[in-house]
Amino acid sequence: MSATAPPLSASAAVLGALEGVKCEVSMGRDGVATVELARELAHDALSRLRDRAGFEQCTLVTAVDHLIDNELGALAHAGARERYEVVWQLLCTTRVLGGRAERVRLRARVSESDARVMSCTDLWPGAAYAERECYDMFGIRFDGHAGLKRLLMPDEYEHHPLRKDFPHEGIEPDKLYRAWDAARRAAEPARDAGQERS
Amino acid sequence: MAALLPVREQASGDGFFATRVDALVNWGRKNSLWPMPLGLSCCGIELMAMIGPKFDIARFGAEAARFSPRQCDLLVVAGTLTWKMAQAARTIYDQMPDPKWVIAMGVCSSSGGMYDSYAVVQGVDSILPVDVYVPGCPPRPDAVIDAILKLQQRIEREQPLKRVFALPEHVIEQGSGAWLRAPNSGVPKSASDLHPHDPRARRAIERREIERQGSGGGKV
Ligand code: SF4
Repeated sequence: MSATAPPLSASAAVLGALEGVKCEVSMGRDGVATVELARELAHDALSRLRDRAGFEQCTLVTAVDHLIDNELGALAHAGARERYEVVWQLLCTTRVLGGRAERVRLRARVSESDARVMSCTDLWPGAAYAERECYDMFGIRFDGHAGLKRLLMPDEYEHHPLRKDFPHEGIEPDKLYRAWDAARRAAEPARDAGQERS
Repeated sequence: MAALLPVREQASGDGFFATRVDALVNWGRKNSLWPMPLGLSCCGIELMAMIGPKFDIARFGAEAARFSPRQCDLLVVAGTLTWKMAQAARTIYDQMPDPKWVIAMGVCSSSGGMYDSYAVVQGVDSILPVDVYVPGCPPRPDAVIDAILKLQQRIEREQPLKRVFALPEHVIEQGSGAWLRAPNSGVPKSASDLHPHDPRARRAIERREIERQGSGGGKV
């Protein structure tokens, strides 16, 4: 089966929707148009893409930690960019580009000291879980999200596991369990009286 | 009932009664283990197969899986226990009435298994007293049935009356699993217990090798 040749440039719909927004549009190697822009403009661009270009699904909200790239970059040309990059990917189910349903990707750099962007849950309520996971794993805050809690790790856990400075061997949340266990034993000493004798 | 009458007659005579009650209670307990299925991941599927008609643990009296811990006396931890789930698992264990037993089914619940991860409890024995460990990923249902048979042999040796009549310090806590709580706690860990990809493991082995050669050379 011969694949359709990948498209060479972003579709007119994407370019038209982003008319006047300060951004850089390029073509990813996977044939998905990639829009790089400042994080303040991201929400505006997302709503334009939804309303004017017909991207009715938000399939992905995640982040990339460029800590290591930054360290290398800082060595190479003495100037690193912001550490995190938030990535959104949108899907249009009605248009076809390069033999597939058209997608578009947005990327916005976010600094380490102020890791926050606007939430897109007002545009796609289904993005709430993806944003919670992104917050859990990278510690990026989504302003305007109605319930930005951790998704996978326990609520009181203090680390963000997908950050590049999270240790390879991990930090177990067992302290939280031990604290809970100690409180439970203190509240009901009689219950464990038989078990803990050894 | 008729079969029990001679026992009652003998019991009034000499001190025969206590052991017979122990045996009777143990016989009843071991043949009516009600499992609480804590199917946490893939091992849960094998657990269902075990309860189903093909492997049929009804043959050993343990088919009455109840989803309320208040009705169960055998906790089967089948699958990967995460730290987030650990509180729930411990609460379930606490809600089960005494006497109760725990089977760690599969390598995940026995030792963390392949999930050498911050999110996974490395062996449920760090939060629960485990009575029988079943290796395998997942263990075949027969292996878990074997664990139930082993547990039955253990229950046969328990002394339930002692728990009622003896002084607390003389009670053998077999039923609660307390004496098996941390079976390996006294065993020093070897360097190869580290993850094989962990450079510390390799360095420790190399260091030991150098020491061994050094001391051997000294003797010669
Ligand atoms: S031991 Fe294997 S089969 Fe069982 S829960 Fe772990 S990974 Fe799954």
